[in-house]
Amino acid sequence: MAAVNDRGPVVTGADLGDARRRNVPGTPQTVAVVPEPDDKKKVKKEPSFLEILDQWEWIIAPIVFTALAFFTRLYKIGLSNIVTWDEAHFGKFGSHYLKREFYFDVHPPAGKLLVGLSGYLAGYNGSFEFKSGETYPPELNYTFMRQFNAFWGAICVPLAYWTAKELKLRRNAVWLVTLMVLCENSYTTISRFILLDSMLLFGTVATTLCWAKFHGQRKNSFEPEWFFWLFMTGLSIGFVTSVKLVGLFVTALVGLYTIEDLWNKFGDTKMPISTLAAHVGTRVVGLIILPFLVYLLSFAIHFAVLTNSGPGDAQMSSLFQANLRGTEVGRNSPLEVAIGSKVTIKNMGYGGGLLHSHVQTYPEGSGQQQVTCYHHKDANNDWFFYPNRRDADYDAAAEPRFIADGQTIRLLHSQTGRNLHSHQIAAPITKADWEVSSYGNITVGDEKDHWKIEVVSDAASRDRSKIRTLTTAFRLKHEVLGCYLRAGNVNLPQWGFKQIEVTCTKDNKPRDTYTHWNIESHINEKLPPGDPGQYRSPFFKDFVHLNVAMMTSNNALVPDPDKQDDLASQWWQWPILHVGLRMCGWDDKIVKYFLLGNPLVYWGSTAGLGVFGLLTVWYILRWQRGYRELSQFDIDQIHYAGIYPVIGWFLHYLPFVIMARVTYVHHYYPALYFAILTFGFLTDWFTRNQKKIVQYATYAVLDATVIGLYIYFIPICWGMTGPNRQYGYMKWFDTWRMSDA
Amino acid sequence: MATTAPQGTLRQRSVAGSKNKDGASSDVELDKLVKAANQRPKAVSENDHRIAFFIITILAFITRFWGISHPNEVVFDEVHFGKFASYYLEKTYFFDVHPPFGKLLFAFVGWLVGFDGHFHFENIGDSYIANKVPYVAFRSLPALLGALTVSVVYLIMWESGYSLPACILAAGLVLLDNAHIGQTRLILLDATLVFAMACSLLCYIKFYKLRHEPFSRKWWKWLILTGFALSCDISTKYVGLFAFITIGSAVVIELWDLLDIKRPGGALTLAQFGKHFAARAFGLIFLPFLFYLFWFQVHFTILTRSGPGDDFMTPEFQETLSDNIMLSNAITIDYYDTISIKHKETKAYLHSHPERYPLRYDDGRVSSQGQQVTGYPFNDTNNYWQILPAGADDKQLNRHIKNHDLIRLRHVVTDTILLSHDVASPYFPTNQEFTTVSLADAYGDRAADTLFEVRIEHGKPNQEWKTISGHFKLIHNPSKVAMWTHTKPLPEWAFKQQEINGNKQIAPSSNVWLVEDISSLPANHPRRAKVAKKVKTLPFLRKWFELQRSMFWHNNQLTASHPYASLPYSWPFLLRGVSFWTQNDTRQQIYFLGNPIGWWIASSVLAIYAGIILADQFSLRRGMDALDHRSRSRLYNSTGFFFLAWATHYFPFYVMGRQLFLHHYLPAHLASALVTGALVEFIFSQDAVEHEVAHQAAKAGKKSQTPKHHLTARERFAGQSLFGSWVATGVILTLVAAGWYFFLPLTYGYPGLTVEQVIRRKWLGYDLHFAK
Repeated sequence: MAAVNDRGPVVTGADLGDARRRNVPGTPQTVAVVPEPDDKKKVKKEPSFLEILDQWEWIIAPIVFTALAFFTRLYKIGLSNIVTWDEAHFGKFGSHYLKREFYFDVHPPAGKLLVGLSGYLAGYNGSFEFKSGETYPPELNYTFMRQFNAFWGAICVPLAYWTAKELKLRRNAVWLVTLMVLCENSYTTISRFILLDSMLLFGTVATTLCWAKFHGQRKNSFEPEWFFWLFMTGLSIGFVTSVKLVGLFVTALVGLYTIEDLWNKFGDTKMPISTLAAHVGTRVVGLIILPFLVYLLSFAIHFAVLTNSGPGDAQMSSLFQANLRGTEVGRNSPLEVAIGSKVTIKNMGYGGGLLHSHVQTYPEGSGQQQVTCYHHKDANNDWFFYPNRRDADYDAAAEPRFIADGQTIRLLHSQTGRNLHSHQIAAPITKADWEVSSYGNITVGDEKDHWKIEVVSDAASRDRSKIRTLTTAFRLKHEVLGCYLRAGNVNLPQWGFKQIEVTCTKDNKPRDTYTHWNIESHINEKLPPGDPGQYRSPFFKDFVHLNVAMMTSNNALVPDPDKQDDLASQWWQWPILHVGLRMCGWDDKIVKYFLLGNPLVYWGSTAGLGVFGLLTVWYILRWQRGYRELSQFDIDQIHYAGIYPVIGWFLHYLPFVIMARVTYVHHYYPALYFAILTFGFLTDWFTRNQKKIVQYATYAVLDATVIGLYIYFIPICWGMTGPNRQYGYMKWFDTWRMSDA
Repeated sequence: MATTAPQGTLRQRSVAGSKNKDGASSDVELDKLVKAANQRPKAVSENDHRIAFFIITILAFITRFWGISHPNEVVFDEVHFGKFASYYLEKTYFFDVHPPFGKLLFAFVGWLVGFDGHFHFENIGDSYIANKVPYVAFRSLPALLGALTVSVVYLIMWESGYSLPACILAAGLVLLDNAHIGQTRLILLDATLVFAMACSLLCYIKFYKLRHEPFSRKWWKWLILTGFALSCDISTKYVGLFAFITIGSAVVIELWDLLDIKRPGGALTLAQFGKHFAARAFGLIFLPFLFYLFWFQVHFTILTRSGPGDDFMTPEFQETLSDNIMLSNAITIDYYDTISIKHKETKAYLHSHPERYPLRYDDGRVSSQGQQVTGYPFNDTNNYWQILPAGADDKQLNRHIKNHDLIRLRHVVTDTILLSHDVASPYFPTNQEFTTVSLADAYGDRAADTLFEVRIEHGKPNQEWKTISGHFKLIHNPSKVAMWTHTKPLPEWAFKQQEINGNKQIAPSSNVWLVEDISSLPANHPRRAKVAKKVKTLPFLRKWFELQRSMFWHNNQLTASHPYASLPYSWPFLLRGVSFWTQNDTRQQIYFLGNPIGWWIASSVLAIYAGIILADQFSLRRGMDALDHRSRSRLYNSTGFFFLAWATHYFPFYVMGRQLFLHHYLPAHLASALVTGALVEFIFSQDAVEHEVAHQAAKAGKKSQTPKHHLTARERFAGQSLFGSWVATGVILTLVAAGWYFFLPLTYGYPGLTVEQVIRRKWLGYDLHFAK
């Protein structure tokens, strides 16, 4: 039966419980049968055409909607033959898969793998560079790649239909929700290009559907269908988080639902403990382990496909790189390092980069030359091992002197000839540490250029009298200050090009991997070449490493006050449809696309959220005043078809409010879907007791307006050709810059 | 729904057969029935409480005032708050991100002792003696408030009906806390803040206890006092908002119970409820807001002279201050005046010279090859521009230029006219190039492109355009781009001067320029004659609103890192302190740090409390009831309120982007001390079985007629041993006192410590000075 406590997520002390108990007696046993609100034309006896239509609505409607979805998403999709907006990124990543070159990006790989797949299916060889605004070469079937992407966007429409139906909305409301998704200009536009957003949207919509279906099966625990939808939920969670980490928000929604569900079951003292344990266990498997496996799998494929060296190498550990085809790392480089060797030095912490220096100086502190960690290969990463100032000078002609554990050396930056140096000046960001700079030259300097090598471990040998390329992990201790060289994944501001801050930390923590370094590339002509890259790094370590690197560089996407970015927008602008986004150049010759939503969908759904808040407060206050106007079915309906979508909206919206990174209009799209569901619920709720005529009139007006506005604004989705001024009629506000008129 | 079993059953655990007539907050019932059940003589003297309260207050004054004259130098943020007091005394306008109340109090103290504000507290370590500053008087104010805070903590516990040991423990934790002592002996705002926060809790508890006599005189008194305390809190620092959240949440719960149709005291009509609601809104929102505004009014009334804060305000605002350079030097600009125009943000002048833009830039784009227009930071005759009217060049003099007028600008040296057109600028493909054209072109085919609109910031239509005070944007009339410049220098071909271009985004304040001087006017020209100073006035609300916006904006800008800034997660564990002051020759230092033992005990008690609540919820959910009715009520309502205060004063810091310091935890620490006192009583005292029996009996039937009043601790614990609580309190306070004494030299700043002594105090690797 329907449990009382399902009403609200509030769980407080015993006292509240009493208040909630009140309506137990007399609560009707509501059976979870989908109410059939369609009672039109019941008078007629023989099945008329309309009746047959009515009977077959469940199959006809989705087909019609799907067909329309495919039409709107695919129509003239190849019109613009230039690389549009972020196609420059995602197309390029797709190319990397086809060329099997290792690259690095902040998003997980699943979406980009699919882009790569679409390129493969289109017979594309990966040779195009996808420079923004460039024309596609004739041999590249970009139309197919876009169609492949549009497929995901179109599929959202029938999924939305089934979701609304599963949430027990009446037929008119189901249609309204579906129409609002179908006739949403921003969804249409974003689905028509080689971007990840259509897949993200698909994942979000699919997860919501699976969740609703799973919820619908709650009376049939452990039945096959129940299992099916549980695992489908898990799979789609896995898919959506593997496309973009934004998928974690819809995961959180499912998580909240599961916690509430289990809390109810926990309170059911009649349920055997073993059953309860089974409930917990199945959810752990279905909603945590399964999605995680999917996520892992996407990375496994990623690593399996990308076996060649590429632009993202430097993000990974040296050992990983050594196993890429075509890499310089570990190939023919001498095994043991000697004085005079030219090396690059890699930080071994997760997401660590190469020790780097460049001629730019610190704007504060010492004002000397910057030392950073950098993730790209570059001549500024090269350092020479030099003897300390007490020892005999480096003699290029003499026999090589090998470097041992505990030896004190200098590191000379090869491009600028300066020494790696530290002094008692606070580091620019991590103020508790000392600043590290490049200072002096071969002859000029002091003992603050001296670093002592402390070997932590060596995968190849126990012999500590030499340090080895790739396999030796060592720390560099500043001889004078006693501090350790560290790069802790803290990004410098714009003056340091957002590279990673390098400091000298006073804490002696031998286990801190951010103070561990290894030699990555090693050049010394006097030494025999070896093959240090025969050791493999384990998959799981690579996986964690790559994920940490993703997180770190995502954090670096903070807004840059020095840069003018008129494409970015802010969170408060989205729900009120304050701005749109120009996806390409605005020349007369270019086919122009403008990212803007359907005004009714945006404004209506935003208003709906407010109305829903008032509605909830209204019913809660009435409840406390003793009105019992809602049946258990009504309460459940508000709870699952109203409150959960609203929570979903908050989960997808608030993070962008708090987040300090650069945000764009399309970040609102997943949240918008939940706002649409809320709007559908509200329309359903307010019309449920109205006369038929009022109902039909309301829906007719809403449906017609949604469709009308969609068609009115359709040129921004299908591409505006010719001078932009002729589209001035759509420019309702100055901030809608689809036209310069 | 999820389960098949009827949920009702598991709710029935507590009292079989009861009719569940009471809902939340059953204290009301409680009072009555216990009263009815044990008809003990009401000879409850609270003398022991009075004695304890007296002793603790004395101790608080001793700990706060002892050695307050040391050090006789400026310490840490005294640099700021001492300075602000001086500004008030000198009546010079200054700007700060905190509201004025706390600073006004310091100024008041300074005024009482006759300080004239001549010393500006410039550097940490400046001598007070040499500069003749009555710093002891200044420091007495926070010390006084800090000492009273301890008393208020005691009163909160006492008023909430806790036993003697619980009250002593909670007050003792604050009394013997090095952080509270350290922060309240210096010229800082936190003493005022913490005191106001504690007072708001106390007043609210007083108010809540009067809930059975709504709208009585006393009820109103405590309601308004709560509001006043809250207002002082938020008028000192904006973190005072958290106290509003604490009290606000409690009020919402209270109102929720009042709304209950099955309320124990009888349902309220909606009109009655409305009255309750309105009274609280009036007392806790409206009045505090008025008080808050009042302090700003005082602020503006005192600060009538221009000072270091002028630059944060708009020119209109600055004109309300006397002695203001803006007011005295502003000259109305006429057509045919020759002027120099300065960019407000980068201080560069609008400049031009005969060199031309290169045909092709490095990235391959082409230019118009027109004459260069750049930004140049130094005085130069090439910065001179003459203003020509938009119409024919009619040479009519003595016409003022008004807001939104269209003008042309003639570059005097090269005799060319400023122009912008749809050619990309050297660095920004999105922005328009600025160049100049000959007079012939300017009055010929390019006429439209040489027209610019003067848009005065916050200007009224027809407002006259003035030098210096008249900040404006220069909008290119046909294309509506704003003249803009930035700091990235152009390449060698433009002598590394700044790029000037047309910005399509007109709104940003980086487009603002000002006319620095009219170079065509001789120094003794009548138009330069200074009119007698006339200070303008602005409506208070407008001034307040402007200041408020500016404060919030600058508050958000406080993101720069500080060597001793810390993150919220580290506070309950007291991982790190703040170095306030050091003196090398005596090896003395003040290191702001809490009493580690006290903090760790308080923080673990918070965890224990959360654990108890969770365990209780889980067992209730499984139909097991381990607590008696009254203990649970106290645990959830009274201790829960303290816990809420802690949570609302702690967790919001996690989402705050600005610089944070350990002292931000002080209000939360005070709340954690309250929880500690309450929970130690809960754990170490036995349940009063007889009460529970009485409770059951009373529930079953008769309603007591005894007058409602609150239970004192003595009544609650009558006849039962408090031995456990006393022992626990004794042990904890002994430990805390030991920790307090151990860290005293770091709090009071003397005596100086030897290396070994310093190292012994580096418990969690505290970064103390003089460790070697």
